[in-house]
This record gives sequence, C-alpha cells and structure tokens, in this order.
Amino acid sequence: MTNAPVIRVDHVSRWFGTVVAVSDVTFDIAPGITGLLGPNGAGKTTLLRMMTGLAATSRGTVTVFGEPVRDNPPLYKRIGVMSEHETVYGFMKGREFVRMMGELRGVSNLEHAVDKAIALVDLVDAQHRPMATYSRGMRQRMRLAGTLVHDPELLILDEPLNGADPRQRVHFTHLLQQLAAEGRTIVLSSHILEEVEQLADTVLLIVNGKLAASGEFRAIRAALNQRPYHVKVVSDSPRTLAAAVVTLDSVDAVHVDPDGAVIVLSRNVRDLQIELPRLAKSAAISLRRVEPLDDSLESVFGYLVEQ
Amino acid sequence: MGSVYRLTLRQLSGKWRLSIMTVLSAMPVVIAILMLSSEHAPSVREFEQVVLSGMLAGSIAPMVVLAIAAAAFGNEVEDRTIANLTLSPIPRWHIAVPKLLAVITIAAPFVVVSAFFTSWVGYLGDVRASVAVTVSAFVGVALYASAFVWLGLRSTQAIGLGLLYIVLWEGFFSGFVSGVRLLSIRHYAITLMHGLDVRRFASATDMSFGVAIGMAVLVFAGFLVSSVRLLRRMDVP
Repeated sequence: MTNAPVIRVDHVSRWFGTVVAVSDVTFDIAPGITGLLGPNGAGKTTLLRMMTGLAATSRGTVTVFGEPVRDNPPLYKRIGVMSEHETVYGFMKGREFVRMMGELRGVSNLEHAVDKAIALVDLVDAQHRPMATYSRGMRQRMRLAGTLVHDPELLILDEPLNGADPRQRVHFTHLLQQLAAEGRTIVLSSHILEEVEQLADTVLLIVNGKLAASGEFRAIRAALNQRPYHVKVVSDSPRTLAAAVVTLDSVDAVHVDPDGAVIVLSRNVRDLQIELPRLAKSAAISLRRVEPLDDSLESVFGYLVEQ
Repeated sequence: MGSVYRLTLRQLSGKWRLSIMTVLSAMPVVIAILMLSSEHAPSVREFEQVVLSGMLAGSIAPMVVLAIAAAAFGNEVEDRTIANLTLSPIPRWHIAVPKLLAVITIAAPFVVVSAFFTSWVGYLGDVRASVAVTVSAFVGVALYASAFVWLGLRSTQAIGLGLLYIVLWEGFFSGFVSGVRLLSIRHYAITLMHGLDVRRFASATDMSFGVAIGMAVLVFAGFLVSSVRLLRRMDVP
C-alpha cells in the first residue's frame, strides 16, 4: 500500500521582479510533524504561502490532498493555517475571535468546538478578555485556537513559537505532538534549530530559496556534528600559542592572521574549551579573548548546504 | 456572510472615522442654510449646481464613502489579518459582498440624512424634490462604495488615488468634457434626481434616465465583480 503525500511541492519557484525567493523546490510531506528550517530571509514564508494558496507560484505546482491549493476555497475546510503575522482584532474578545473563525469555516456545533479549541490552548480563563489586552504569547495561542477550531487534518504554522515563554513552549510542544499522534499532518517553520529538533520528525532545510537538505532530523544533526568550527584566540604570544595548540587532539588546523590572532579550526569545540586554558597556563601565555567566528545560524546552514 | 459583515461593521466604526464623517456630512446642510439666509440668496439653479451637484454629489458623498470603503479591505491588507478571511472555505463573493454592504450600511445614513436636509432647506420644504435627491444620494453612495472597495483592495494608496479621482475626474473633467460624464458617478446621480423629479436639474444633465440607470448598474456590478476576481487572484500578504 502506498501513502499519497498530503502536500506535494513540485518544481516550485517564485520570484519578485529580479529577486528569486524560492528556486525549483521539490518535496513531499507526509503525516506527522515536518519542520521547515532555515535562516531569516531563506524563503520559508514564501514557500509556506504558496503551500497554503495565499501566493501564486511563478513556476511549478503545489497540491494538497491531491488538489491544487491555489484558488480552491473548499480545500480550506481541511487545512488550518497560522501565519507569522501576530496582528489580531484588538476590539474582539478571544472567544469572539475563535467563534468567528469557526463560523467562517462552517463548523457545526460551534460553541462546543470553540470550547474545545480554547481549552486546547489553555486560555479558558482569558477567553472573555479583549485580545488587545493579551500578551504576545497569549495572542499566538488564541490565534492557534482559531486555527484549530474546525479540527483540520493539516496544520501549517509559520514561526508558531514567536513570543512564547518557556512554559508556553513546553505546552505548545506537547499540544503539537498530541495533534500529530491523532494522525494530523503538521508543517511548522522556524529559524531556530533547537525548536525544530524538539518537535519535528522530518526536516526540510531551506537556504537561499533552495531545498538544501531534507530527511530525518537525526541525520541532519549528525551532519552538523561533523562541522568544523573556527575559533579566534587573541593572546600576548600568538606564535607560541599556535605552535602549542596545533598539538591538541581537538584541533584540526591553526594559522595566525595578519592582526596577530590565532585562528583555530576544530571539530570538537567542547574539548577545545577545556584544553585551551590549561595549555595557556602551562605555557605562561595570557589569553585576552576567545571567540567563535561562525556560530551564527547562517553559518550552520551554509555548512549543510556545502555538504 | 454574516460573520464578514459584522466584522467589517466593527472594524469601520471607529470614533475618529465617524466623527470626520459627521462633520463632512453636516457641511452641505450648513452651507445651504447660510446661502439661503444671506441677503443675496442664490437661484434654484445656482443651489443645484453649487451645493447639490458640486458639493454633495461631487465632493462630500465620495469623500465620506472613500473614508470608509478604502479601509474595508485596505486596513486588513495592511495589518495582514485578511488571511483570516481568504483562508476560509467560502466563495470569494461571500467576502466581497458583505464588505461592500457594510460600507454602504455605515456611509449611507450620513450621506442620505445630509442629502435630505440639504435639499429640504434648498428647495424650501419640497418633499418630492428632497426624496429625489435622497434616493439619488443613496445610489451614489452604493456606486462610490463599489468603486472604492475595489480600490482599497487594489492599492495601498487608495485614499490618495481616490481623492485624485474625486478632484480630477468627478470634479474637473466631468464638468467640462461631455464624454467623461458617461463615466461619472456624479452625473448618474444628477440624472437620477432629474428623472425622479423632472422639475429639478432641468438644464444640468444631457444624459438620459435609462442610460444613467444602465451605466450605474454596470459600474456597480463591474467593480464588485472585479473585487471578487482580485480576491481570487491576488497574492494575500
């Protein structure tokens, strides 16, 4: 028996004038939680908007449940979408908002569905307050209740954890896992690696509008662990330090830059953090500054793209 | 459709917006009273040209409607809550029609009340003439609403473009170029007034009543259909 993909993105591109936001991306999404991961500006939101039918593709097709998603309103009975934009109708009470979303989506037994959705996001006590008085995290949760009120089979969530505090993150993680366990398909985007690691079974890595990697998170994490890091060390005796550091097991290569800083290439930064101060002390070298050069998310994604 | 209608009513009923509309719609009444109470009271023809045609139909009514209609979609496009509507499993006309009805619901009372009292004052209590002006004003509101709701969906500069249209097209060109009148909401309204009370605006219109009605229907339906098509085809922010 073959399982048809819930979402099929087939050679999809999208450009705005001369700017290519998404370039020839192809993938399928099956039930479970899929994380769309990539740095800010990578094209995640554009891709999600095309997957929800909010934006047209410049080339290629997107189908959801086997049907074109663009200009196909009846399909939205089966889809729940939460965009990254956090604006809410400030004049509305939370419950009014969820009820309106249910009405628009043709929910039968509306009051029961509203009760259930609000309870799911743990906002029963705040449901009769105007949404203008909510914190950022509460607004996100009430928006999620509005997304869940019609009990969709597919959830597409763009940066859903924005503004959530740690307790809310835990609650949200459990909720999504529960929804996925009930057989739903959940696609969520994030630029935070750890966020996706906690939630997603499968990861789609988007960098510069292209699909850089896809598959199980563990495989991508393993590739990340192989990544060499550059560490800049400023000391009072760079050449002596370089000669000593290169002997360490945790170090792959060393060079001294024109400013006199030692640049260390290491695949085992944890050991380097322990060994470097000891080495400096034993060689009577004074360390003035130790800093990673490529600890940004962009460099992590860039490394994966090169692999 | 009820949800979109109620939502739009609440969105457009801000105190600041309603205050501006109250001031705007009171102006023709005040001007009419001042004109008639002065030593050199205008003729009926001058009153029709200056107050009813120039001020009410050509400026106040479109500006009141523009203030409401441009925001019907414009505000939601700007703050990106429009996706709440477009991601609903309902036909796009179920979004466009209640938006348009909500705009008319809010704008029409201001313009209609203003039109009735202005003409009541100007025509010295002539009920038939006042009713003709009031009905025509309501039709004008509906037509301007259809056009400006579309404009608010089409452009983020709807207020500026709408004001240009009011000043240049309705105010300037339609007054001098006879061909332009065929595409002027102000002139449909004036022709309608004349059609409902032939004693009024006798020399001010060169358009037949039938043509004005036909064109009004075409304009109203044309902009509404364009809004629905735009909702289907636009990239929703």
